[in-house]
Amino acid sequence: MSPTLIGILLVLACTGVEGLAQICLKQSTRQPSRRTRWICLGVALFVVEALIYTAALQRLDVSVAYALGAMSFVVVALGASWLLGESLPIVRRLGIGCIVAGCAVLATRG
Amino acid sequence: MSKQTLPSSRVGRRVVAVLAIAIALDTVAQLLWKFAAMRLPSSMSPSVQFHAIAHDPLPLLVIAVSVLQLVNWLLVLERVDLSYAQPLTALSYVSVCLLSAWLFGERLDAHKVFGVLLVLIGVALVSASPVRREKP
Repeated sequence: MSPTLIGILLVLACTGVEGLAQICLKQSTRQPSRRTRWICLGVALFVVEALIYTAALQRLDVSVAYALGAMSFVVVALGASWLLGESLPIVRRLGIGCIVAGCAVLATRG
Repeated sequence: MSKQTLPSSRVGRRVVAVLAIAIALDTVAQLLWKFAAMRLPSSMSPSVQFHAIAHDPLPLLVIAVSVLQLVNWLLVLERVDLSYAQPLTALSYVSVCLLSAWLFGERLDAHKVFGVLLVLIGVALVSASPVRREKP
């Protein structure tokens, strides 16, 4: 595998971890009695993400890595809807679609 | 906590302020991270990486900025939905794209400008969506 492909796979792994971390942090603001526990879990996931992301940045331009990380917008929105019961108004879905499309455009030609 | 759905024009100055700080901190963290990563050896070995990180102050600065980011982000999440706030941080894509062209000499052509415009339209749409605000 080329370094670029490895870099791309590493960034995609980050988006899944990011989604879980964000849901833990949001949950910490909803469940004050377990606030610390949720924050610690979220931070631990962010540390894992940081390690993977550092390895990715050594193989990719920062703009390309960051653009691919846009898939986290989809992961976070779906997670917030499924696990936290947030509603996703149509305008918000369209907006997230545009953001991901924009990031895909940014990523296709480094 | 009671919840209330508001048009986004009523989201409040404090929410706008914490979101703006979140985007600025995101940008700074990304650029510092790239600086730090460029200085590390490109070995996957954890011991080599750990040794390099321990002897470089830049990763510590990245960690400090990240802690500020976390505290500020919790202030955002206390007030609005995750699926509303998180896409808005995409504005840092625009700032990182422009700043990395300037700082690292990464290419900025018509193609990238088109991508940046799509992101801006998306952010405008998300920010126009109705917000469920959490009131203490």
